[in-house]
Amino acid sequence: MSSSGSSSSQSPPNMASISDVSALFQTAKKYEELNVIGTGAYGTVYKARDLHNGGQIVAMKKVKVALTEDGIPLSTLREIALLRQLEAYRHPNIVRLLDVCHGGQSMERDHQLVLFLVFEHVEQDLDSYLKRAPGPLSENRIRSMSYDILSGVDFLHSHRIVHRDLKPHNLLVTSTGRVKLADFGLAKTYDTEMKLTSVVVTLWYRPPEVLLGVSYNTAVDVWSSGCVLAQLHTRAPLLQGSCDSEQLHCIFRLIGRPPRHEWPENVSIVADSFPEYPAQDLADILPRIHPHALDLIKGMLVFDPAKRLTALDCLEHPYFTEEPLT
Amino acid sequence: MPYWYYDKKDLQNTPSFRDGIPNDSENRYRKEGARFIIDTGSKMDLGYNTVATGVVYFHRFYMFHSFRTFPRYITACCCLFLAGKVEETPKKCKDIIKVAKSLLTEQKFSTFGEDPKEEVMTLERILLQTIKFDLQVEHPYGYLLKYAKCLKGDKAKLQKMVQMAWTFVNDSLCTTLCLQWEPEVIAVALMFLAGKLSKFEVVDWNGRVSKHNAWWDMFVEDITMELLEDICHQVLDLYSPQTQPSGGDSPTQTTASKPPKNEKKASVTPPTSASPVAAITKPVVTPVKNGSDVKLEPPKIDMRFTYPGYPAMPAYPVYSAPPPAIPAARLPIPAGPPLVYPEPPPAPPARFPPVNVPPPNYFSPMQARGPLPPRGPIPPGPPPPRPYYPPP
Ligand SMILES: Nc1ncnc2c1ncn2[C@@H]1O[C@H](COP(=O)(O)OP(=O)(O)O)[C@@H](O)[C@H]1O
Ligand SMILES: [Mg+2]
Repeated sequence: MSSSGSSSSQSPPNMASISDVSALFQTAKKYEELNVIGTGAYGTVYKARDLHNGGQIVAMKKVKVALTEDGIPLSTLREIALLRQLEAYRHPNIVRLLDVCHGGQSMERDHQLVLFLVFEHVEQDLDSYLKRAPGPLSENRIRSMSYDILSGVDFLHSHRIVHRDLKPHNLLVTSTGRVKLADFGLAKTYDTEMKLTSVVVTLWYRPPEVLLGVSYNTAVDVWSSGCVLAQLHTRAPLLQGSCDSEQLHCIFRLIGRPPRHEWPENVSIVADSFPEYPAQDLADILPRIHPHALDLIKGMLVFDPAKRLTALDCLEHPYFTEEPLT
Repeated sequence: MPYWYYDKKDLQNTPSFRDGIPNDSENRYRKEGARFIIDTGSKMDLGYNTVATGVVYFHRFYMFHSFRTFPRYITACCCLFLAGKVEETPKKCKDIIKVAKSLLTEQKFSTFGEDPKEEVMTLERILLQTIKFDLQVEHPYGYLLKYAKCLKGDKAKLQKMVQMAWTFVNDSLCTTLCLQWEPEVIAVALMFLAGKLSKFEVVDWNGRVSKHNAWWDMFVEDITMELLEDICHQVLDLYSPQTQPSGGDSPTQTTASKPPKNEKKASVTPPTSASPVAAITKPVVTPVKNGSDVKLEPPKIDMRFTYPGYPAMPAYPVYSAPPPAIPAARLPIPAGPPLVYPEPPPAPPARFPPVNVPPPNYFSPMQARGPLPPRGPIPPGPPPPRPYYPPP
């Protein structure tokens, strides 16, 4: 318009228009759901087709977010912002996040918003990869997968993100055998979210500090990675406890009950509630393992988080540096 | 990943333009919306980062929607509201609306509808969808300070130059520069402008190597003088008298407001009579919140440095305190490759390959960390047998 005068011919501000457009958004379908590929504790993952990108197959994770009086919680926004920001680095061992969108206002009108996180679709997760493997993995394969996992972990840690739930289900294996980390960065969003109670969260990769309920940091991921690395050699979980205390027994049977001076303070469980298990030799459990690999895993499965290797330490371990990786 | 840079053609063929709104009107709506975010933000003591993030959301939003569909002031409020949360300086929605109401005429505020808070809540979801949850935005401020640290020369002059550049960055929010160039490029260009106007000639800098012709070659590759001047002009245009009548008109208004009486100066400091927004002349988006606003002298015009078409640089708005210290470091986002990311706009805009920002590290520059703790020797032993290798 050339001047303010011409605006008089226009319709008055009609705020219904905002809702109209909002409705448009919801119907403008971008993805076609194909089938469920995973149901975790907090969301459902679908295989889907990206209708705007030549039908490319993607993995779409639906997460319900409880809306607050002031809309979408700050913590969720921060987490998504960070995931988006990480994505800019396109780290080879992190699953690509392609898009984030939402399903508009929930039907139930109970102040929920359904978030869709759209990821590249990766062939399978490490759990199914290991189950399908017809025999032991080759040493090179184990080594390169171990390196992939630790590179991804180190990348997250260098961005001050703790994964908190590293396990074969959350590690994806591409058709070329590369490993990518998935299912991280939404811890706070999950926490505000009603957990699907029927799903049992596995304890097998939990470090002792988490099981004991003391504060934890990036070292938790190194413990979990250690469990996964061991599993790459045997294709069976290393420490299979059935409950928190059982899991601690399993851990101490392997690494020995820690000396009292290493027992954390302010823990309701006392060291003496466990027998004085002597440390087992990991070499007995992982026979024929390369001594470097054994040494690395030992350095990762250390009771005191402060004495555990860091992810970067792991990457610089002779297991990876002595021979070039394939 | 979305890509947020557009060329000039895209910036003319916007949803608003296709909706019958001429470019100059749209530019004014953008300017007024940005200015309103700045004023609201500063009245609420929000920092420059939050304000700038809100403004960038605002500009991006209208690359997908028309000003006729979404009245600018409520969108502006919503952008500030969302930016507050993302930058971890949250403000209650109802408080933002309260401040907005105090800054707007009744007529403008009427575009907020019956239930302003509910409208903003609805708009938040539309905004998020529109900006594709790409919430983390970088601004030129940090680069400005980082680059300035490398320049050698008279401390006081440098400080003055940085202050001036800082103000230009503030003002650049009222332009669509953030839709055209990366923050690094804008920082360089506006420092260049400030250097010219404050007569701070950069002759030496830390990190200088022989292939550098100018200090900015160190930070942004392939930046041409033409580009620098183009960016400077876009900011200087804000200070030039406008030919186009502006004031309270709006694409969705029922009754035309009275033509503004006082429209001599363009609205970097908004016209005093056109809107109550103009009443707020408080210094904004300044990096310091204490009262130590060091008033800058309006830059004297160096006649040897003439921008054709800007014979008289108008009294330069004095509203910036000096950036005192480097603000908390933020994670660097390397500029992603220009990805085509189709969605709402009917015609996906052509991508304009911008000047090469120094190539981002492929992934994060690893922080220096302590040396490896000494570890026991690895027991010698025979290499283990090679097992069977399964295909996945
Ligand atoms: N990008 C993906 N490609 C293929 N499968 C995936 C992808 N992301 C997740 N999955 C599958 O879905 C399961 C659940 O996904 P996840 O993100 O771990 O959600 P949850 O929080 O519910 O555990 C994973 O264990 C994996 O099997
Ligand atoms: Mg999972």
